Amino acid sequence: MSSIICATRGGEACRRTQEKAVALAKEQGAELTFLYVADSSFVGPVDKSLADAVTDEMARLGRALLRVAQLRARDQGLAAQTVVLQGTVQQSIKDHLRQVEASTLVIGAPRTGTPPQTFTPPEIQRFAQAMRQDLDIEVLVVT
Amino acid sequence: MENLLVNETLLVVLILVATLVSVVARRIRLPYTVALVLVGLVITVWRPLDIELTPELILSLFVPPLIFEAAFHVDLRLLRSTLPSILMLAVPGVLLTTFFVGAIVALGTGLPFATAIVFGALIAATDPVAVVALFRELGVPRRLAVAVEGESLFNDGTAIVIFRIALVTAVSGVFDPVDGLFDFLQVALGGMAVGLALGWVTAQLITRLDDRLISATLTTLLAYGSYLVAEQMHVSGVLAVVVAGLLAGNLGVTSTSPVTKSMIFNLWEYLAFIANSLVFLLIGLDIDLPQLWSNLGSIAVAVVAVLLSRAAVVYGLSWLISLSGSRARVPPSWRHVLFWGGLRGAISLALALSLPANLPHREILQAMSFGVVLFTLLGQGTTIKLLLKRLGLIERPEHVLERERHLGRLLAIQGGLRRLERLHRDGVLIDEIWEGLRDDYAHTRNTLGGEIHRLFAEHAELERELLLQARREALQAEHGALIDALRQGLLSEKIFSELRADIERRLEALALIQASVQSRRQPPAGG
Repeated sequence: MSSIICATRGGEACRRTQEKAVALAKEQGAELTFLYVADSSFVGPVDKSLADAVTDEMARLGRALLRVAQLRARDQGLAAQTVVLQGTVQQSIKDHLRQVEASTLVIGAPRTGTPPQTFTPPEIQRFAQAMRQDLDIEVLVVT
Repeated sequence: MENLLVNETLLVVLILVATLVSVVARRIRLPYTVALVLVGLVITVWRPLDIELTPELILSLFVPPLIFEAAFHVDLRLLRSTLPSILMLAVPGVLLTTFFVGAIVALGTGLPFATAIVFGALIAATDPVAVVALFRELGVPRRLAVAVEGESLFNDGTAIVIFRIALVTAVSGVFDPVDGLFDFLQVALGGMAVGLALGWVTAQLITRLDDRLISATLTTLLAYGSYLVAEQMHVSGVLAVVVAGLLAGNLGVTSTSPVTKSMIFNLWEYLAFIANSLVFLLIGLDIDLPQLWSNLGSIAVAVVAVLLSRAAVVYGLSWLISLSGSRARVPPSWRHVLFWGGLRGAISLALALSLPANLPHREILQAMSFGVVLFTLLGQGTTIKLLLKRLGLIERPEHVLERERHLGRLLAIQGGLRRLERLHRDGVLIDEIWEGLRDDYAHTRNTLGGEIHRLFAEHAELERELLLQARREALQAEHGALIDALRQGLLSEKIFSELRADIERRLEALALIQASVQSRRQPPAGG
């Protein structure tokens, strides 16, 4: 059975990205996993206890976000899995894709003109291209 | 009796002018403190009024309510997370500003160094009233507002203490650094201790009595009383008011009923409005334009000195804080706001007016003070909004405002419903009326709920914000539960402190996450 990973972080594009991933999994009869990476590197050099708290709270936020996505998938008749990882975002996604031998990665990109987003569409496209080349998988960028 | 009537008439006219100015300022979107100074200036040119703005009038009548109100509204939790940077700017920052300004002014104007240092000290305190009012209106990040307000609260106290030491040195010609440091610590810590003691007692009384009129009166007594007691004890009245206000706002009022809370908040909003209006109008009325004109060269030097020193202190100390790895790092965009938002106001003028008549170059110092205050108010106060816009600190998309609006309505409805339920339970509302009102409220709530769902479907990122907000609320409730457990003797102080520290760290972590999702600093992570 093929495996689809939907990387999500609760941004502007998350709802349509998750819906696209659910539709794709149902269409292909694939296993769907929602993935969230708790990356606290943005806080910079702070003391360890605070950095740990940031990672922990991000993971908690991720679990809640993925649970919402999982419930919505269930409403559409799909039993999805959830995974929360800790580490740097791009490397963690890459490692996970490799580990589970995923066939497809679904990620979202903000629409032009939306408020400031975590990362820009060109950055996402570059990341998608790198995943296609390095892992030889299908990468779907939902805009 | 006649004098009383004259003064009363003058007061009524001043308040009337201030009210009209604030109405017009709101329409033309000018900070109202700036508009008040301008109108004061126009009146002075047109028909000078015989009003003497004495330092006592500013310091003992206007400053206590202004500082108390500002401290009262500061969230201690947010203040704690920015405290290292606030204290760096408010203590070493004020000392460095005093020295830099003094040195540049001495070099640029030829004033004796000791005299120039007096000017450096009196102009070191920032007064961001105009800026903070704008912050509240525009909705800049709360932590930034707290940083600006917090710095101003504490640097008022330190600047006054340093000013007094510098003045004694300038008059006597003798400066003993050890004595100076000892005096500084004694006056500053003494003031804080007075504020701590009176603030704590008042907070306890407010919590226990929970009577709106008595509580409001107690806060008024605290604002003026802490200042007077501290000054009588020859310690810092301003720092006493700061600490008293922080305690009253964070320990006293938070646990009172909504009616008491609303009464106290409205009272202080009103008192601060009146005090602000009068003080800035009086500043405008008291400006001696010919004197400013004849000292234009010195004023230009003073303005340059103040701007250069502010830049050195803000950027330099922020850089040091970031090197130290402290959790209270000042983001680069905030540094620009702290620099350009460092307006000078009432405290500087009060100190300038309090200079002894026998101090050499007194008139030049006063002219420079008024000149700098005028420049910062008219130049910086009117352009800070542009800076905030340029830095993207006030970008609030319509859907975010809409969610906030819905949330506000929802909370208001819940509050109303709870009150009605209570009235019904107490037998005040008969069953039919209660049911009718309840159904109506429930209908409105459901409609609102539907609109919120629609908003979330269209703007998915709002869900993440709601999650963060809910988690913050939950942590605050956890904090409250710990306090209850401590009071009931279920927890020891040691365990309570441990658990509280963990919650505070988590709240800080949430604030950082919130700030990161609102900016572009978070790394790529998918939709």
